[in-house]
Amino acid sequence: MSSDAPRMRLEAADVGYTYPGQPPTRALDSLTVSIADNEFVALLGPVGCGKTTLLRIFAGFLTPTQGVVRCDGTSVDGPSWQRGYVLQESAIFPWMSVRENLEFGLLAKGMEAEPRRAVSDELLRLLGLSAFEAAYPKQLSSGMSKMVEVARVLATDPSMLLLDEPFGALDAQTRAKMQDELARLWEQRRKTVVFVTHDVEEALYLADRIVVLTARPGRVQQQFRVALPRPRPLETRFAPEFSALKRQVWEVIGASSSVYAGRT
Amino acid sequence: MSLVQRNRIKRALLSLGAIAVVYGIAAEIGRWVLPHRIWMDVHYIDNVELLPTYQSLAEELAFLIQSWILPSSILVSTGRILAGFLLGSVAGIVVGLATGRAARLEYVADPWTTLLRFTPALALLPLYVIWFGYGEASKILLIATSVAVVAMLGAHQAVRGVPQVYLDAARALGASPRLIFRKIVLPAAFPQIFASLRVALALAWVTIVVAELIDAKMPSLGYLLALAGAYPRVPQMLIGLATIGTLVFLSDMLALSLHAKVTRWMRRTG
Amino acid sequence: MVGQRFLLGVSSLIVLGLAYTLLSNASRFIDVDQLPDPLRSTLRPDVLPPTQALVQAIVDLVRGPEKQPPPDEPAHMHNHVHTSDHVGVLLQQGVTLQTSLLITTGRVLFGMVVGAPLGILIGLLIGLSRRVDDYIHPIYVLVRSIPPLALITYIMLWLGHTEAHRLIPIVYAVATTMVIPTYHGVRDLASTYLVAARSLGARGWLLLRRVLLPAAGPAVLSGLRYALAIAWMTAVGSEMLMADNGMGNLIVGGGMWASRFQTRSDPAVVMVGILGLAAAGWLMDSGARLLTVRLTRWAR
Repeated sequence: MSSDAPRMRLEAADVGYTYPGQPPTRALDSLTVSIADNEFVALLGPVGCGKTTLLRIFAGFLTPTQGVVRCDGTSVDGPSWQRGYVLQESAIFPWMSVRENLEFGLLAKGMEAEPRRAVSDELLRLLGLSAFEAAYPKQLSSGMSKMVEVARVLATDPSMLLLDEPFGALDAQTRAKMQDELARLWEQRRKTVVFVTHDVEEALYLADRIVVLTARPGRVQQQFRVALPRPRPLETRFAPEFSALKRQVWEVIGASSSVYAGRT
Repeated sequence: MSLVQRNRIKRALLSLGAIAVVYGIAAEIGRWVLPHRIWMDVHYIDNVELLPTYQSLAEELAFLIQSWILPSSILVSTGRILAGFLLGSVAGIVVGLATGRAARLEYVADPWTTLLRFTPALALLPLYVIWFGYGEASKILLIATSVAVVAMLGAHQAVRGVPQVYLDAARALGASPRLIFRKIVLPAAFPQIFASLRVALALAWVTIVVAELIDAKMPSLGYLLALAGAYPRVPQMLIGLATIGTLVFLSDMLALSLHAKVTRWMRRTG
Repeated sequence: MVGQRFLLGVSSLIVLGLAYTLLSNASRFIDVDQLPDPLRSTLRPDVLPPTQALVQAIVDLVRGPEKQPPPDEPAHMHNHVHTSDHVGVLLQQGVTLQTSLLITTGRVLFGMVVGAPLGILIGLLIGLSRRVDDYIHPIYVLVRSIPPLALITYIMLWLGHTEAHRLIPIVYAVATTMVIPTYHGVRDLASTYLVAARSLGARGWLLLRRVLLPAAGPAVLSGLRYALAIAWMTAVGSEMLMADNGMGNLIVGGGMWASRFQTRSDPAVVMVGILGLAAAGWLMDSGARLLTVRLTRWAR
């Protein structure tokens, strides 16, 4: 590869995954996609199309039953803090305070208490949650709780982020606010991001590129480059380019409705 | 059958097979190494096989079956469990449902249920023997008591655990309390009640075995064990233990499959 | 609300206590033999011990064998309303209510301290690795199906009448009881947190101590409460069969394996034993419950 070509951080080559069971479920089939360095990619697809499965494979928790997944050239062999992963379900540790949650990844790295505190101070400030440093998760709203999870993963400063519908359970207003937060954080510390969602607007607002997946078994249907300028303020949502792109994406989704009906 | 399930069965067979083989080897070695003579408090007993070989086990099994000792013991013990379990579960569920429904009833019954809960069922045995004699009644009632306590607790918590949203929704649709109880509370409570019945079943087996051990009268599984212990006749003891274990296992499997069958029906209509 | 609960509970205790006293003393005011069966056979003092007899039994058993009765005078002639020599036999063996309770409690605690970590360890192993689960789970299912007290006859052949012989069923019962709650805690409760933690780079000891244990904790703790109840039952059963001390022995009336139940059981003593066991069991469970609440403050 020439030195000018963008470095591929994550590659999925002809990946397939079948869940065991009776009958076995084909979640992914012949899926090929690559993610470039510092690119923000949104995986868009209907419920059940295998997006979570793909993300879990990227994160290293599942081995594809077919095909190969590579990170920085070597095949993915298990979880690593370099591929920070935020799950769809709530995974904030309820027995630890907010600060302890934020510092957990650093603790795993063997960092000492003082530098850990410095990092968590910074993150609390960034999130505006300094008042909640000693609070326990049960005292937080679900939106705040999710942001703590995202910040927790950011604390270890991984170069790659894998986010699985992190704002799915939130109401529209909170979601918009969280999307802004995420975009702002990304502007400050560029990273490679793979973001799973079923919300077209969210994908357009946040991503550089949208990969549309078919219904089960998931395959790459089409890809879109989102050429909107960054940073993207709120008005972007109402810009004509945004609506035009939205229409294009919806057409692709609509056109494949027969596939969505479950016929493979 | 998927690969995962085939692997699971393969590994299960492998480990069980390994145990069987290890036992066989240990029994053979034991024939030479283990003492044949053991001290039984007052005298020595000769010819004791502490680890009987498969051959002696097989011979003993054949004898026990042919002489009808084992089958009759199984029938008697199982019969007692069945009777006690039915009696106890019905009584326990009824009381538990009642205390779940009416808080005041629960408060009144509270000290007594606590007393019963923390009394090991076996401690009641001498009392029952005094009250009901040495016959079937005392044993069946003992099992019934221990089953009833567990079932009552389970039913009570199950009724209490029905999500308020269901009750509110039903009330908003104009349902009467009786209808709500029959059509909402009972079905919603069923899984937990069933789970407690499974526990009660295991408890019933434990209780009957010891009750029969203490108050020994042929034929019964407990008595089989006691007799085997008195001689001692180890192959008979091990076969007795294996029989009890198998029966416990089978009854649990039965309960599980029943549960699956009934809840499947519920899920489809629910 | 709490007040109502307390009032109703206490009043039902008092009411039933009074009713029992009346009923059990009925033979004093009415001619019981005139009544029809089953009333007739129920209202006798050797079936339904009068409340005074219960109190007397408690007093006797707590006081213990202060003065040794002269060898030719049976112990029960000392101002007892007991109709058998149950108490006498016990006192002759130096048994008192307190020591019996302590001994049984000791056995239960031993069973918990040794058996619980064992069961938790096995539960952890099969919960964490599917492979280990496939191999070990079938063995566990078989082992668990054999009631611990049934084993006591077999163990006796190996170990004779030793303390170990009585304790092993308790340890075995606790261990087998703890496997499933631990397994459930690890498999069902902890799995999400384990994924998140591993994605943060946690491994090994850190993962175990700060993620797995707290996540599975609540399930393990409630399993411990249940195991405590099982340990009580097994300890009492073990003592009823094979011990010459402890509450089980008290209830059954002393004497060794072969001569048990030859002492005619005094229902007063049995009831006292049951009450004592219930009280002690309730205390231990309340302690366990408070501990659980304390340790899981962070839970919703």
